[in-house]
Parts: sequence; structure tokens; C-alpha cells
Amino acid sequence: MAAGIVIGPRSSPGRYDAVVVGGGHNGLVCAAYLARGGMRTLLLERRETLGGAMATAEVSPGASVPVLAHTVGRMRPSIARDLDLAGEGLRLVQPEVRAVSVRPDGPPIALFGDPARTATELASISRHDAAAWIELDRRVSSLAGVLGRLAGQTPPDPSSPRLDDALGAMRIGLGYRGLAAEDRRELLRVLPMAVADFLGDHFETDALRALLSIRGMRFSSLAPRAAGSTQQLLADSAGNGGGLAGETVYARGGPGAMAAALVSAARRLGAELRTGVEVTQVRENGGRATGVVLASGEEIEAGIVVSGVDPKRLLLTMLDPESLGPHLGWQAGNYRSAGVTAKVNLALSDLPAFAGLDTDETRARLRGRIVVAPSVSYLDRAADAAKYGRFPTDPWLEATIPSLVDPLLVDRARDSGVRHVMSVVLQSAAYSLREGGAEAWDGRRDELGDVAIRVLETVAPGIGGLVVGRQVLTPLDLERDYGMTGGHPLHGEPSLDQWFAWRPMLGLAQYRMPLEGLYLCGSGAHPGGGVTGVPGRNAAREILADRNRARRSGRR
Amino acid sequence: MANRYDAVVIGGGHNGLVAAAYLARGGLKTLVLERRHVLGGAAVTEEVIPGFRFSVASYVVSLLRPEIIRDLELPRHGLHILPLDGTFTPLDDDYLWRTDDHGQTMRELRRWNPLDAEAYEEYGLLMVEMARFIKPILGIVPLDPDRPDPRDAIPLAGLLRAFGQLPRRQQTAFIQLMTMSAADFLDQWFQTDPLKATMSASGIIGTFLGVRSPGTAYVLLHHYMGEIDGAFRAWGIPRGGTGGVSEAIASAARALGAEIRTEAPVARISTRNGRATGVVLQDGQEIEAGTVLASTDAKVTFLDLLEPGTLERDFEDGIRRFRFRGSSGKVNLALDGLPSFTSLPGPGEHLRGAISFSPGLEYMEQAYDDAKAGSFSRRPYIDMVIPTLVDPRMAPPGKHVVSCFVQYAPYELAEGEQWDDAKREAFGDAVVDTIAERAPNIRDLIVGRQVLSPLDIEQTMGLTEGNIFQGELTLEQLFFNRPVPGYARFRTPLRDLWLCGSSAHPGGGIMGAPGRIAALELLRERAGGLRRWRPAS
Repeated sequence: MAAGIVIGPRSSPGRYDAVVVGGGHNGLVCAAYLARGGMRTLLLERRETLGGAMATAEVSPGASVPVLAHTVGRMRPSIARDLDLAGEGLRLVQPEVRAVSVRPDGPPIALFGDPARTATELASISRHDAAAWIELDRRVSSLAGVLGRLAGQTPPDPSSPRLDDALGAMRIGLGYRGLAAEDRRELLRVLPMAVADFLGDHFETDALRALLSIRGMRFSSLAPRAAGSTQQLLADSAGNGGGLAGETVYARGGPGAMAAALVSAARRLGAELRTGVEVTQVRENGGRATGVVLASGEEIEAGIVVSGVDPKRLLLTMLDPESLGPHLGWQAGNYRSAGVTAKVNLALSDLPAFAGLDTDETRARLRGRIVVAPSVSYLDRAADAAKYGRFPTDPWLEATIPSLVDPLLVDRARDSGVRHVMSVVLQSAAYSLREGGAEAWDGRRDELGDVAIRVLETVAPGIGGLVVGRQVLTPLDLERDYGMTGGHPLHGEPSLDQWFAWRPMLGLAQYRMPLEGLYLCGSGAHPGGGVTGVPGRNAAREILADRNRARRSGRR
Repeated sequence: MANRYDAVVIGGGHNGLVAAAYLARGGLKTLVLERRHVLGGAAVTEEVIPGFRFSVASYVVSLLRPEIIRDLELPRHGLHILPLDGTFTPLDDDYLWRTDDHGQTMRELRRWNPLDAEAYEEYGLLMVEMARFIKPILGIVPLDPDRPDPRDAIPLAGLLRAFGQLPRRQQTAFIQLMTMSAADFLDQWFQTDPLKATMSASGIIGTFLGVRSPGTAYVLLHHYMGEIDGAFRAWGIPRGGTGGVSEAIASAARALGAEIRTEAPVARISTRNGRATGVVLQDGQEIEAGTVLASTDAKVTFLDLLEPGTLERDFEDGIRRFRFRGSSGKVNLALDGLPSFTSLPGPGEHLRGAISFSPGLEYMEQAYDDAKAGSFSRRPYIDMVIPTLVDPRMAPPGKHVVSCFVQYAPYELAEGEQWDDAKREAFGDAVVDTIAERAPNIRDLIVGRQVLSPLDIEQTMGLTEGNIFQGELTLEQLFFNRPVPGYARFRTPLRDLWLCGSSAHPGGGIMGAPGRIAALELLRERAGGLRRWRPAS
């Protein structure tokens, strides 16, 4: 990847080659690569802290918890190497257990990094599923490998084919050719499939189907029977060797530590990072982005502008509607970015007792992702709530107890009686409620927290009594605090209509936005959301390629 | 010898008959074997109640390929399609009524929402463009991405070039149509809820999906495909019911030299060292054939008519995975008068088209929720047609037949439930209740009713799980994936056994395309001009 980058001389001081808007993980990754490529780069973050949704915060005095994303295992190793995140002090921990489904009406189902061990465990529930696991894990790893390679590439532009698109398509073809014949055929069949059908073809245990289905639904409004949710499951395994069980990687010190490593990497490579600076407008001149306008009114001049903020916010609020044009405006307006994800973070006075996980040996299984999703139809009903804009009464949950693998998170809180912290992703909570729209969430935040506790009580009786601190983030909070339009953690639905060569929309999938010199480097770009850093790196690659092209043609 | 044919076609549904006609026209000695006493499969007219003739299952035509109508000279063989004008969506105290009279439809839409009226024009133009672009796909042999055949490159390259030349707006629409839910797609265009609901209905027909399920937008196009043929209107009913179509095709096939036998159920396909050699009838009679073409669905063909173990396990697994999931039922009513709607009382033009019980998107989605829970919709989507208003001979003078396509009626019911007589009648009652809410007099008019559950459709028509398309039309079961990746080219792993029914590309509906393309492909292969194509194993 580094090969494509020409290290060039710094240009005149006072003027930036590139301004990156938004200091989320993709903005940071992009800024780091740009600086590394020799561009004088400035990154502007509206909030006081960098890292965006990849943050660690105090849920109660001294007790730190992942604010939104709780695992970081999807960050591409190649990026971690390029930016030497380990050198910046990033330490990753991956427990052997990856996920465990805790059920009100049955023994827990645990998934491990080692497929053989998972199969052995599954055998006690279903011999059939145990046998199927080995085969499907292999297949998912193989198919996910193709998506991983696909993710690293700039999608072709089907709307106006060019030579290098053809080459890209060829590279894709090669990756595809690398597959075994039956996997090759399988890929094109399963990508558009509903995850419940895909898993239903292989497993008979409903709870196992459900436990895996959420990997196709996480952070999106895709229901288990929604076409394209299988693509999401595969993408979740892409580039991290997670296989069918998926990754469960913690950053020591919480996801904030990953952000911190990216920040120091970017600084080390020469990028300038400023916080508490809100960009309101992209400056343009004759169809070209020339810099940004800040809330303060101050203007910053730059050769190019790179947006880490979501495409809807960028196109509809930061650009001049004139230069956008009516059709693109209509498209951007229809870009689907209504979130369904809420977050409940807890400080606990003790480790909750989960049914069937109360011995020392079994308790270790709480180190993985703890999933409350008893059945596929439960997931379906949970998704229905969002569909109708109903307040979620029976959501599915994915929780982690990071303090089990990283005790330092609660070290300074022991005196205040905090032993553990729990991070709970809750779905589906519609951004806009039928009664009162999105604003209604301000009045129902605590109610949502209570729902999470109530659902947890069904699998961990007495957990409510252990709660000493609680933080609830509704979709509205995600929008207000982190600037995600519609509170969508993925900067827009990852469904097939906003995917690959048409993410965020057809004609804008190559990181270049409608203005010359304006780029998108956030999760709204291919390959989409999740802590992968890939959109940021891909965007940087395109930007530097354009820079080099311009140099060759002697401009600037 | 009498019992030796070049081609034997299993099943006398419209696709089997179309295939037979083309094969006979191509000079092959062709025999069609139909299990039932009537031809047509799901496109059949029967006098279920004395004096009342029903299009028992499928009831309208819109997609019958115009080239088939031309090639087989179907009008000369009695095909006459009577236009169905408009769609009437009754609500409690209002209605939405679109007709082929553009001005009237515009006025009606403006009454609901002036912006929607504007959008409707733009939308219609766009969809016609889309249909024009997609249409060729219905006529080509799907390529095998795994083993590309140079011969497919030409039409495909043409398609890609055509896509590249579309305006950006149409390119976007195409991608959205292939991937979005019908409701999401329409939400971009319209506000009027009954309009969106009624349009979205076409997206769910025959699939176990809801209007908000991704992948349902594509079928919105079908409505516009008919329109661009110019051969006939978008929606029509054949004189004499859908059996009329089958009769016309059968008559054409006979005229071209094909032999057709009814009440000749096939017990199994006979094979000898890796190739199909003929069929054995249930009465034990053996018939030899150079090629066997099955218009039966993939499961019946490969799992019921072939000795287990004839095919590789992988392929059989693939067929077992092929999803049918019948989701609709049919209720046919015999009336001695016309229903009168509270929102627009009395008889009138509005009864002459389709009458759609689809008051809103949420109503549609809730109907789906019932099905997901394993029961028929308490308040289903109903597409109701009164054929006697355009074809009076279907019933005694003054009397009427009413055809109700009903969704959802899942084949697979919740645990402990099954489609017994009680369940069937309960389903029929739910349909009548739903109609009566908007046309209360219907109850007193009913002199007879026929209710078909998905199980009935399976048992009478031989359609697995009662799926009217011989397999769901979902993204993963279309084009080169239909019915199984690697075998979407009408050939099967068994040499000289071909698929020519709706389980093959491009799928179901009274379209005739699978039968036609399969037959032409077989004739082309026999002509042997080009390298014989072998499916990858």
C-alpha cells in the first residue's frame, strides 16, 4: 500500500495542502496517511476529544467504559502496521471466547476462536450443528477473504467505466478466481441473501442462528429476513480472521486507547490536529473546494478538503445547494441514514450472575460478546419495533464486560464500590419515534435504560441491584454528540442499495465528491462503517494519486 | 415406433406447452404429458361451481412475451386479451382510483396530493425507461459467472454498454430497483399512503417478503413491462379465463405437430448411464425420448421424478435449499350481483379493473407480520378482479365471478397448526370479512366460494409449497442463481434432461419465457453450429 505513495516536499507554509473535517477514526487514519504522503495536513474536530465514536468515557467516577463501539478487532492489521499503532502503545487483547448467547430458557451457547472447540461445545446441543460449524466456518472465512480484498480497493464506477476501473474489476476477479469452485458460486448466491436464510440452511438450532444473525444486523435496520444481511455478516469477518464466530478484540484502556494511538501516529507523521473547532461550510470557488468556513466565521484555506463526516451532513449542510444540483440534492435527501442503535453503559458493584455461567470455568465465557437474542423471530420482532417507530420494549442486546479483560478500567473506582463496567448495544431503537419524532427521546432516555436492565434481568437475575452508575445514549444523542446524521453509527444504512460501487451513492463511490478537491473518507464511503480504518486509507490513496497525477501534468 | 419421441415435455402448464410448440416448430417429434384432465397447470379455467367458470389460480396476464404471441400466432388460435382498466383502492370513507385515462388519473392524484400527481408522471416515464432497459434480460440465457461462455458475452456486453449510456438518474433507479424495498423506493417519490401501498403490492406477490423487505422493488417494474410491448395493455384477462391462454398455446402446439396427452401422470424420468432416456408413466407405460424437458418445478423434477442418488449430493442439496415458501392463497367467489363499495356505491367503471385492498403501507406490513408469526393475515392484501364485467360468458346472465388473489397465506404454519378444512374456511372468512368492511353487501351476494390454501395449490397444481412462481423470486434465486448456481442455463447435471418451467430463468408469471428460451436453446444446441456447452461440475 505504501508503495503507491510519493513522498513529496512540503509546500509553502501558511497554507494547508489538505483539511480533514472530523476527527473520528477514519479522519485520523486519512490525515495520518496524507501527512505520511507529504501533504501539509490539518484535521479539525468539533468536539473536545478526538476519536469520534471510538471513545472511552467515565460511566461513574473512576470507572471507564467504551462509549459506543466496544471491540476494535476489525481495524485492519495493515493499517496498524503502516501507522505503527503498537509503537504508539496500543495493546490489544482477544479472549479465546468470542461470543456467548445467554438464554432465559436454555443453556448458554459459546463460540470460540478455535472452530474445533466451538464444534465440541455445540455437540452438546446439536450434533448436526457441530458438524456444520467446521464447514461453514471455513466457507465464511474464505468468502470474507474476498470481501476483505474488495474492501481494500476503490470500487469501479459502473456509471462511467474507465480503464483503471477495468483493472480494479480484474483484481476483484482475481481474488474471486482464488476461491474454490463451490465457494465462487456460493459468493454470488449468498451476498444478497437474508442472514436468517443463510444460517438456516446450515444450522438447526434457532438460538445459534439468532446469535450469528446479529452479526448481519448490528448497527443497521436490516432484519434477519432482509436481503443483503448476509453480506453484512461476511463484511464483519472480513480482514480480521474472525471466521464465523467473529472477532472480539479489546483495546487496553478501552477503544479510546485506539483513538489515542491514531492521534499520536497522525501527529508523529506531521498532521496538525485541532479540537473544539466546528466546520460549517466547505469553501468553493469555480466548482473547486478551496477550504472550509468555521462556526467562528474564520476561514481556512486548503488545496483539498476531506470529509470524515457523513455524506448526508456534508452534501446537504456544508455545500452550496447550487453546486450540488437538484438531482444530487434529491439523492442525498433520500440517502438512508436513520439509525436504530442505542447504547447503555453500566457501572456494576459486582460481576452479574448469568444462568449457566456461574462456575469459575464458565464465568470466563463472559469475556466475549454477551448476546441476548433467544430466537430469530425475537430478532424479527425487535426489528419490527423500529420499522413502526415504536418504543423498543423487547430489544436484542450485545454486551461486553471489558473490565474482565482490562481491570484497570475500574481500578480508580474500587473505593466507590465499582467492580465492573458493562457496555450494552441495544437494538432496535428507531431514531424517529412515531410519537414525538426524534426529540421524544429526550423524555424517554431513562425508560430506555430500564428496558435494557429488564431484558438483562431475564438472563442475569439481580443485575439491576448491582447497577451503581448508568449512561444511556439514544439515537438522538448519537446524532447530537457525535454528529452522525440520524444517529446512524455506520454513517448510513449498509444495505445493498448503498453498497460498494454505489456507496454512498452511484457516481460518488470513489471517495471523490461532486466538487473538485472534495473527498469523503468516513464510514459513508466504501467499504462502510465499523472500526476498520479502511475508508480513511482508501480515500488517502485516491487523494495522493490525484495529487501525483496533477504534479505529473504540471499543475500546482 | 410410436413410443419414441425426440422430445418429451413433462407438464402441460403454459411453459411446457410453449416449449413443445417451439420444439415442434423446430421439427422435433414432441410429446406433452399432463397429469391432470385439463391443460394449463396454474393457468387453467374450470367450472368449479355449476354455471360459474373460474380462472382457478392465476387470473391476469401482463407479461406473456409478445414474441411468443407472434411466433405461435396465438390470436389465430383463439387468444383474446380483454383489457382490465385501472386500479381501484377502496378505503373506509374514500378511495384512490387510477385508470388508463391519464387526465382522470391526474385529477384523482391531485385530489390526494398535487406533488404526487407531478411525481407520478415523472415516475411513470422513468419506469418505462427502466422496463425498456431490463426487458432484454428476460430474453437471454443467463451466463455462468463460473464458466463464462463466449456466446453470452455479446448480449451481456450490450447490456453493460446500454447501462453505461443511461442517464445517471436512470442508473441510480436501476440499482435501487434491484436492491431496495418497494416501500423505500416509493417513499422517495410519493406521500399518498394508499398509492404507495397499492403500487408496492406488486413487489410482494408470490414471495415471503413484506413491502419493507429489501429486494421487493424490482417487481414494481413488471407492471410497466407489459406497457411497452404495445401488443396489449399492461394488465388484461384472457377471454375464457387464463385457461384461454393455455388452450391457445396448446392449439398452436398441436397445429405445429406436437402431441399432447392429458391424464398421463409421469411416475419417473428414466436414465441410463448419466443421461435421461425417457419417462415412465404411473400406469407403467414407458416412453423413450431423445430429450426430456421438465416444466415441473425444480423440487418435483430433481427430487421426486428422479431416483434418489441419480444426481450428485451437492446438487441435490442445492435443490433442497431452493426456496419456495408459498405465501399466497386464492379465493374465488360466485355472486348473484355486484359488490357495492361504501366509498363509491353502486356499479360502475371502477369495478371493471383491479380492486386492490391495500389502504396503506402499514396495513401491508402488518399483513406480513401475521405471516411471519405463522398464520394467514387477519387483514390480508387482496387483489380482486370481476372477470364477468369484461367477459360475461364466465357466469350465467346477471351473475358474476370474483377472483381474489390473497396474501399472506403461508404454506408453513405456526407449530401445531395445519391447513385443514377448518383452517381453509377460516382463511376464506377472513377474506370475505376484509372485503365486507368496504363492500358490506358482498355477504348476501355469495352463492358459492372456492378457497385455495397454498397446500391446495401444491396438491392440485403440483406447485411445491404452493409457490405460484415455482420458487421465490428473490435476488439470490434469480438469473444465474436460478434454480442453482451453475445450472441456470436450462440444462441439468443429467444429460438430455432440461428444465423449461418457472423454476428456471427468468421465473414465474404467465410469461412463457422459460419455455421459449429453453426450447430455442435446445434447438440451437442440436443444430450444433456452436461448441456444445457443458455445465461446470
